[in-house]
Amino acid sequence: MTGDAGDAGAAGARGVLQPVAVNLLGVVEHPALDGGPWRIDREGTPYVPLGDGGIVLDLQLGDPVFGLAGDHAAPGACLVHPDAAARHALSVYACIGNSARVRTGRAAGARGVVLGQRGEEGRVIVGFGQEDLARMRPSDQVAVRAFGQGMRPEALPPGVMIMNLDPGLLPLLPVGLPPSSPPPDGGGDDDAAVTVSVRMTVPSKLAGNGIGRPSASWDLDLQLPPPGPDGAAGDLLLGDLVAVTDLDARWNMGYRRAWVTVGVVVHGASPLPGHGPGITPILTGPAGALRPRPDPADHVGLTKAVLKLQ
Amino acid sequence: MNVTTNAGRLVRQVLAGEVWPALADRHAYRVGPDGQPFVLPGMGGVTLGVHCGDPATGYASDHLEPGASVRHRDPGANMALQFLTCVGNEVRVASGPAKGALGHVIGQHAYVLVDFPEAAAADLTAGDAVTVLACGQGLALPGHPAITVKNCGPGLIERMPGGTRPDGRLEVHVAARVPAEAIGAGAGMVSEYANTDLMGAYAGLGEDLSLGLEGLRVGDIVALADSDHRYGRGYRAGYLTIGVISTGQCLLFGHGPGPSTLLSGPAEAFHVVDDPGANLASWFHPQSQDRDRYGESAGGSR
Repeated sequence: MTGDAGDAGAAGARGVLQPVAVNLLGVVEHPALDGGPWRIDREGTPYVPLGDGGIVLDLQLGDPVFGLAGDHAAPGACLVHPDAAARHALSVYACIGNSARVRTGRAAGARGVVLGQRGEEGRVIVGFGQEDLARMRPSDQVAVRAFGQGMRPEALPPGVMIMNLDPGLLPLLPVGLPPSSPPPDGGGDDDAAVTVSVRMTVPSKLAGNGIGRPSASWDLDLQLPPPGPDGAAGDLLLGDLVAVTDLDARWNMGYRRAWVTVGVVVHGASPLPGHGPGITPILTGPAGALRPRPDPADHVGLTKAVLKLQ
Repeated sequence: MNVTTNAGRLVRQVLAGEVWPALADRHAYRVGPDGQPFVLPGMGGVTLGVHCGDPATGYASDHLEPGASVRHRDPGANMALQFLTCVGNEVRVASGPAKGALGHVIGQHAYVLVDFPEAAAADLTAGDAVTVLACGQGLALPGHPAITVKNCGPGLIERMPGGTRPDGRLEVHVAARVPAEAIGAGAGMVSEYANTDLMGAYAGLGEDLSLGLEGLRVGDIVALADSDHRYGRGYRAGYLTIGVISTGQCLLFGHGPGPSTLLSGPAEAFHVVDDPGANLASWFHPQSQDRDRYGESAGGSR
């Protein structure tokens, strides 16, 4: 996404503030382990965490979240910054769909796209072509054109908030905004609501790590069971949109009855209790004004094709 | 509790900590459920006037930590202090005007939280040294192999009502039952450290935020539905976790009064009895409100 703000003047005249683009510097992360080699899974079995940060190869948008024996594995490279405050800023300002470009190392010049963020100290997940990714190494510098926080489409109903999304990506996702002006006959309920195609709807009691944390910089892990023996039912793909009911993510994420949050699945499953595939929130609002439409079989969310990332 | 334990085989360790100052940053404000900015005390330092048995909510406070909030200055030693200290352990003030005063651990919250009698707490401040007699990790109930015990001093399990029933289940008395929807910040963390914030207890705010938990008290023993805390904190249908409310009022969204973990296992391994008296105040802190004494227990000195 280019983040073209060409109509800024006209929109500004109408009183809608335009988002600002900022060039940030990210550094490709090296995975780090705390203490011993093991973490303890939800059955009490020690395991070596694989793919928790850094560069993960052979994992892409569209792959199943339960497909690898990984821990929070994300499809691409995770960016951090050696300064803690700059690292937080990177994860707060970078938005899904922002362009990124490698500046150093063997993959210098390669183009990537921000796919989401992760919490705690902050990480930005950037998708690259697999050949580019294979040439990268931890400590490579990547410029991120951060653009999108503060965006508010005019047609967005009151109460609904949008976040963590490049403005140029919004029309390419299965998100239907209501017309800017209500139809003369008042229209049906859906005419005034945002509708979103999602792979599945998840109750808030399955919200795990990330609950109580700011949606601008954290992802939210979903404590989903792995799909059944047939491997099909309930499966979730990286890049899918998912709705969480009774969850308000306008600022910190927390329980609110009759509220809905929609996010993009940005990393895979985790053996840790309270963890699981994570979503970066993009929309949150009252249930009447934000309406997810579960489409388990045919949902198309954030894909390599949408991002021109092959 | 009428139950066989391995308490006689546990190791006791003398640990050191200090009352940690309240911390803030220059931006001051945090954000509440409706986007309201707030600046409120509660975490760190010594929080006065709130003890076990008192309401957990209803204060102009955020992450209210009753009594003294204790850490160790060295990061590694601090994690040992946080992991090894258990609810009910004795804590004695080792420096300052309150030297000699005796308190008890009520839980963890990235600090060890210690309830002292009000008169002793009034003389305590950040930097005062405390000595913790840590005992309890490793506690097991051989007759209840499916139940994991953690953060639970042997003195606490002794004093709690209930125990092994004829049907083999463990009877536990709780002051409140908590639905899985209430589990907030702390999900996914290890269960020997900090606690599990409960949402749905925002006293005075909207009905759409309520899960009926506004009546919780500091020190309440509570049952968390569908929670498995044996190896961390996660959702698991059919599991039950027993905790003790160690922190109070929150305005930060997704946070709230929090239980420190005590027992966790399959729900069918427990027999839960609703009992408003299931509170640490019934067993450890009868003198908390006594402003004239230091709450000295038998054998102590100051």
